[in-house]
Amino acid sequence: MIETRDLRHAFGEAVAVDGVSLTLPDGEFVVLAGANGSGKTTLVRHFNGLLEPDAGDVLVDGTPVEEDVVAARTAVGMVFQHPRDCFVAPTVGADVAFGPENLGLSREAIDARVESALAAVNMRGRADDRLADLSGGEQARVAIAGALAMEPDHLVLDEPFTGLDEPARRSVLDRLEALSADGTGVVVVTHDLRGVLDLADRVVVVDDGRVALDAPPADAVESLADLSVRTPAEW
Amino acid sequence: MLVYEPGDSVAHRLDPRTKLLVQVGFAAAAFAHTTPRGLAVLSVVAVGVLGAAAVSPLSAAREYRFAAPFLVGAPLVEALRLGPPWFEPAAAVFPALASYRVVLVLAVSAAYVRTTPVRESRAAIQWLVPGRAGQFLGVGVGLVFRFLPVVQDDLSRIRDAQAARLGSDRSVRDRMRLVATTGINRALGRADRLALALRARCFAWNPTLPRLSFTRLDLPALALAAGLCLAAVV
Repeated sequence: MIETRDLRHAFGEAVAVDGVSLTLPDGEFVVLAGANGSGKTTLVRHFNGLLEPDAGDVLVDGTPVEEDVVAARTAVGMVFQHPRDCFVAPTVGADVAFGPENLGLSREAIDARVESALAAVNMRGRADDRLADLSGGEQARVAIAGALAMEPDHLVLDEPFTGLDEPARRSVLDRLEALSADGTGVVVVTHDLRGVLDLADRVVVVDDGRVALDAPPADAVESLADLSVRTPAEW
Repeated sequence: MLVYEPGDSVAHRLDPRTKLLVQVGFAAAAFAHTTPRGLAVLSVVAVGVLGAAAVSPLSAAREYRFAAPFLVGAPLVEALRLGPPWFEPAAAVFPALASYRVVLVLAVSAAYVRTTPVRESRAAIQWLVPGRAGQFLGVGVGLVFRFLPVVQDDLSRIRDAQAARLGSDRSVRDRMRLVATTGINRALGRADRLALALRARCFAWNPTLPRLSFTRLDLPALALAAGLCLAAVV
């Protein structure tokens, strides 16, 4: 479970997150929506200790993040907005293996995790492919695999559909649906709700650094337009 | 671009420690033997190494084209005079041989980089240089090989962006200034994002590294490395 209590974070004078208290139970599919600059990315980067709060607390499975950052980063996998920003190695297999190698696992365990993570994103057998040669959709899936190889309880994806065409977007959504069905908590940060709203258990809208709405999709839809979040046509 | 490319050449199948030793031996021999005859022999060795790595000399030269102005410029500058005869070719000979020596060393290093995954390089370095020093060196080498192609990519995109808006019509000095300042800004931004990505996946100084093992194929290469080191001291 990820929990924030009165979380506050400012960049100089600009308050990006202003007293956010949020609980994200295991296994839940949450859409974190909001306009550009509303504080979504700043908020989620506290979940695994990439940012430290100016005030308030962030807990992962009951433990404050600052007490065990490695545990937090293992429990909360993060995929950044631009897949290339996630990559730390030149080939698919090397990049996906990076996280498990840092955990000091045996080579056999690492290889098994890489195999499993690539299979989960439908990239089995592509370990030797160069990341620079992949399409946008394939890079997005490899970035997800890199996070999955840590075997997180939660997967946080920041604007995962940026630059993807419809088939690539669909492919990523299918992977997320499968992960959620397997019990992994999924948090998708986005301002474009097409397709992802159908999978969500909950919609949390962040506006000006605060939680403006936290409800199931069916209840949230009516208020989304007022919060500068476009509702998909089918809703 | 100068990055690892998966393949099945002889060099791909060598232990990275062997390849590192060949590189070190070659560099030592190249700096010890700067005569035309010595460099001719080393040229043959370099061509052989590139062949073993299935890397064409032209492709290797292209990877290091950024060094060309310095390698060509040094002998030219050495030959220039402030008075008549203004240019003395004889003075350029020794610097030209030195530049050529650097070209050979770069060619052998291109073969290494193309055939060695970064993680294996790191493992080899940490095996050869134990302790903290090896860890720092290994991480440093890994980061350079990860970061350099990204920076090269960025510079290329900046040039394209300039050209798309007729920036090519500007003076060379202006274009260089724009590419340099934009490139530095982007590199710093990328460094931030890379650091974030490393932290997000629990970057460690002592990760599990690939297992390294010598095979029979390494024997001739190790003999070559030993021969080169011997040539450097004899």
